[in-house]
Amino acid sequence: MAANATTAVTSPGTIAVPGAAPRFTKTRLFRAIRSFAVFLAIWWAVAAWVENPIQLPTPGRVATALFDLAASGELLEHMMISVTRLVIALLVSVALAVPLGFFMGLNARANAYLDPLVELLRPISGIAWIPLALFIFGVGDVLPVFIMVYVAFFPLLLNTIAGVRNVDRRLVDAARTMGVGRAAMLRKVIVPAAFPTVMVGFRLAFAGAWAAIIAAELIGSPSGLGFAIEWYRQLLMSPKVFAFITMIGMIGYVCDVGLRALQRRLTPWADGTGL
Amino acid sequence: MTTATASVNGSAWRRVLELTLVPLALVVVWQLWGMYLATDARAPVPSRVAATFVDLVANGGLVGALLQSLTRVVVGFAIALVTGTTLGLLMGSYPWLRDSLDPIIEAFRPLAPMAILPIVLLWFGTGTPAATAIVTYAAFFPLLVNTVHGVTRVDRRLVQAASTMGVPRTSILLRVVLPAALPSILLGARLSMGIAWTAIIAAELGVGAKSGGGTSGGIGQMMFVFYSYSIDLNAIVVCMIVVGVVALLIDRLFRIAERRLMPWRQ
Repeated sequence: MAANATTAVTSPGTIAVPGAAPRFTKTRLFRAIRSFAVFLAIWWAVAAWVENPIQLPTPGRVATALFDLAASGELLEHMMISVTRLVIALLVSVALAVPLGFFMGLNARANAYLDPLVELLRPISGIAWIPLALFIFGVGDVLPVFIMVYVAFFPLLLNTIAGVRNVDRRLVDAARTMGVGRAAMLRKVIVPAAFPTVMVGFRLAFAGAWAAIIAAELIGSPSGLGFAIEWYRQLLMSPKVFAFITMIGMIGYVCDVGLRALQRRLTPWADGTGL
Repeated sequence: MTTATASVNGSAWRRVLELTLVPLALVVVWQLWGMYLATDARAPVPSRVAATFVDLVANGGLVGALLQSLTRVVVGFAIALVTGTTLGLLMGSYPWLRDSLDPIIEAFRPLAPMAILPIVLLWFGTGTPAATAIVTYAAFFPLLVNTVHGVTRVDRRLVQAASTMGVPRTSILLRVVLPAALPSILLGARLSMGIAWTAIIAAELGVGAKSGGGTSGGIGQMMFVFYSYSIDLNAIVVCMIVVGVVALLIDRLFRIAERRLMPWRQ
């Protein structure tokens, strides 16, 4: 393997773009299975060596717990609660951030006045809002939704503004020359041209919101996946803790892959938007 | 970010107005709301927030908590920097290693740092090691992914030239590949430091909440104590502003470092 060192760096065609969607070709799937097999074997060996089922349960016990939770419906229940909150929060965030983003992107004056406020609030992470929001909304459904709306708002807003402002001037000029009206200009020229960037913002918003919901539910909610992991931790039922964490990871992964696919499907004209 | 309307309008005071009008108006409305409309005497108001800030700085509580949080972030970030860039260099250089580890990393990357809090609590208890572990986890992935990205994009002719001249492999890695990948690594460092700062607040909040107020310390836990014990909303707002300012300073610091370390990119 050492002999490959230099050729490895220089060998063409194997450049893995990080963040690129995995293609489920046969070799790729095989590699993934092999990697996970090794990972599970190491986990199992360490768990057997540690011999502490509370600190590190074996993969087998976690799988059993996952199966039991799925069979009893508890897994689906917490999952639906979290996913519903996520969907509501993302819808609210899109409804707030995208129109505002278009307004700020099209109107330089408004942007000049509103941007300082955005830049002042943006560094305050959604997590830091949890104690104050906990006091205002109490423990329940509103807190996680509020935190997620806040977290998802900024990437959506900034990407929408950037998307609108970076619309090719020549497109706008060409449309104007041909006598296209304001409404049609917005609908037929600016929206399609800005859409790929908005999609990128939406993916960032999803990733941020899905990370924030775990913190929000863990600290201030009586239900949801974030609540479940901490609840079973307090009961020292580690296999269930690991099972729920696996579920959180899987949902995040599947949604990300899905959003990438959706992005390619919805904005086929924008290949290579990066990210 | 901001538009350069100053040059358009040709007056500096207009720019100042643009920058301050909306935030100042908001503060004034907030103050009036707190003085005349708020029904709860505990409601945070700008004037009381400012007074609380002075108190918290004077009694040393805020500075102590902030230093504790920053120390944890720096330690966690340093561990992630060493492990993340080392593994990233290796993965970027050896395709077989990259192919083997990629599926595992892609599986763990979308997992929120807070999701591993219960495991961390089981392993490390409720003190500094737990908070540092979460920071390390959070900071690790942006560093790793950006290092791999940077290394795989290194100009192959540089490596070939060095290899033709008989430079040993480790030297190529450290003298050619590492500097060439530096822009990407520094970008990863900036992203990961930002995430680490968010993660430490989350970790301290969570640890504080789950260890009954606890002894974990740090600014995140301080916020939770203000929420659940003294119910001092002004102090919570002080902490939020401090958290925001530190986030901003960290970001600026890394941007300056990027410019200083890579003057050729100007």
